[in-house]
Amino acid sequence: MENFLIQLLNGLVTSMLLFVMAAGLSLIFGLMDVINLTHGAFYLLGGYIGLTTVRRLGNFWLALMIAPLVVGGLGLLIEYFFLRRLYGRHRHLEQVLFTFGVTLIIIDLARATWGAYVESVPSPALLAGQVSLFNIQFPIYRLSLIGFGLLLALLLWLLIERTRLGAIVRAGVSDAQMVAGLGIDVQRVFAGVFAFGAALAALAGVVGAPVFTLYPGLDSEILILALVVVVIGGLGTLKGAFFGSLIIGLADTFGKALLPELSRFILFAVMALILLLRPSGLFGQKEV
Amino acid sequence: MKQQCALKGGLSRRGFLKLTGAAGAGMAAAPWLLAGCSPAVTTSQPLKIGLLLPYSAVYAELGNSIERGVRMYLDETGNEAGGRSIEIITEDEGATPDDATPKARKLVEQDEVDIVAGIVSSGVLGALRDYFDSNKKLLICANAGANGISRGGKTPYIWRTSFSNWQPNWPVGPWAAENVGKRVFVSVPDYAAGHNMRDAFLNSYQAAGGEAVGLQVTPFPNIGDPAPFITEIANADVDFLYCFYSGGQAVTFLKAYGDFGLAGKLPLLCAGFMVEEDVLPAEGDYALGARSGLHWALYLDNPENKTFVEAYRAKYPDKTPDVFAVQGYDTGRVIVEMLNRTQGDSSADKMVAALDGISFASPRGPFTLDAATQNPKQHIYLREVQAIDGAPHNVSLADLGEVADPGDDSKG
Repeated sequence: MENFLIQLLNGLVTSMLLFVMAAGLSLIFGLMDVINLTHGAFYLLGGYIGLTTVRRLGNFWLALMIAPLVVGGLGLLIEYFFLRRLYGRHRHLEQVLFTFGVTLIIIDLARATWGAYVESVPSPALLAGQVSLFNIQFPIYRLSLIGFGLLLALLLWLLIERTRLGAIVRAGVSDAQMVAGLGIDVQRVFAGVFAFGAALAALAGVVGAPVFTLYPGLDSEILILALVVVVIGGLGTLKGAFFGSLIIGLADTFGKALLPELSRFILFAVMALILLLRPSGLFGQKEV
Repeated sequence: MKQQCALKGGLSRRGFLKLTGAAGAGMAAAPWLLAGCSPAVTTSQPLKIGLLLPYSAVYAELGNSIERGVRMYLDETGNEAGGRSIEIITEDEGATPDDATPKARKLVEQDEVDIVAGIVSSGVLGALRDYFDSNKKLLICANAGANGISRGGKTPYIWRTSFSNWQPNWPVGPWAAENVGKRVFVSVPDYAAGHNMRDAFLNSYQAAGGEAVGLQVTPFPNIGDPAPFITEIANADVDFLYCFYSGGQAVTFLKAYGDFGLAGKLPLLCAGFMVEEDVLPAEGDYALGARSGLHWALYLDNPENKTFVEAYRAKYPDKTPDVFAVQGYDTGRVIVEMLNRTQGDSSADKMVAALDGISFASPRGPFTLDAATQNPKQHIYLREVQAIDGAPHNVSLADLGEVADPGDDSKG
């Protein structure tokens, strides 16, 4: 039982990290109909920028602000100069090729800048150390990640459900053309959402770095998990991203704890099962 | 010499004149004209080594390290052996056999290299074994440790200058039973190298009276968050943890081990790659006190190592040598000594015959190519991570003696 509770906490840590990552991906997917394979690279780049900030300025909290700003700005540029030309449902292949190409460029530049060594970011001093829970020394940083994830989920929920901006985004997810017809500059909303998603990925990179470390190749590992979350949660819904993250985080953790040899399989079996029962994901309205 | 060659080919006078004219204009433009000429001619050409190493993906720094080692030895010996100059062509091994196979074929078939050296991944080594075997092309493996290539999967054309996965683990078992404890939790990634290392350690550890209380295999190559595994380990009543992880997995795993407060509480013993110099900077203080078996240590006390480490730091400022650089350095040395023995003859069978018994004092201590396994006979050291000038590095605590792979699966 005690072991179960500890593993539950471990599962929530993974879930919350995935949520920060998947929230942006899901919004971009749902609103812009863009399959953004650059999201993993945004995560890794955010992590690396955070690493440099921590090394240079010795301040983890600054990293939490700088990395999302830089990567969000980069997202804005990518959207404005390139992605803008590739909108439309029939152009998915071009979007995939383009965003994959950008990923390769970012990852190669990151390797040129930070090298291919594995890098780790220490947890901030304020959150270092452990608390004793059921005979296990549970790291405070990981506990606070759960709180951070929940807080961010709440803020995002308020933003999407309770503000005018959120209403526009939600309307855009349902029918972007109609929103444009109402005289709203959808182009600008798209750019904003893309940049915001990129910034969230970078934020995930910074808070995730003390847990997952940083190395070339991590981008695709994270991206795959986030895509799974988005697909089972349903495209374009925050709720979907949240519960999708919970399911995948817990399935991953309990799979590893109970049947380690099959843990990868369990993850994808859960996805297949959910898609069999609900082809558009848990909360999705659009077909995947 | 050029004339000799042309006349041997039985050319007409006009053909001969044309040929010498062409030769004057630039021999390199028509190398095929010389095919099948006397060995004296082929040996005067540069010898080409194809370095197949990962320059991308997660093992990229291992590839860079090995290349630095190879180049360092070749530079020290004037890039020349057996009267022939040496030329290096590099290709990216990537991470998987799918990445590496076309590159190996390119080196062999298009660049026509005389020797291929490198290969970090055991998966790639396994996938390319038949290619080198059937093409009778010499491969000097500078890292990948799959036991099989020294055992059932042996071919005359693949020799290893690195290690078999069995080697750094088996000698540690009895030492652990005597010095650390009789109850162990073993955690390894679920792929061939992980299984090889675990089985080798457990074979000798259990023979020495140790008991494996917990066994764990973790997903490879993506471990994700290792916290669920660490939780299982923290709940077990054992004397110590035995592991093998490398690269990104090593750092993530060790980080979680430290974050959960196990560093300094549950002793860590491991295959040396987990706490080697390439990953130590990222592992930081959590690695302090970790003990491991490996065929080299940065602070291994012998004159060759001292010279090597100093020269490496002088040649590559800001770089700390690691075991992969040593393997690259020894790979360079094996190739040079082999060519000196064949006097520059690069026919595969001559080179293979010359490899047998090559022996020298390496930075890792006495090194002998063992003809029975085509793998080095070498010493394994029990090392400990200590803070030296404020940074974690490996110091050799004990020499566990000279070890050769058993050549079959009888000892794990």
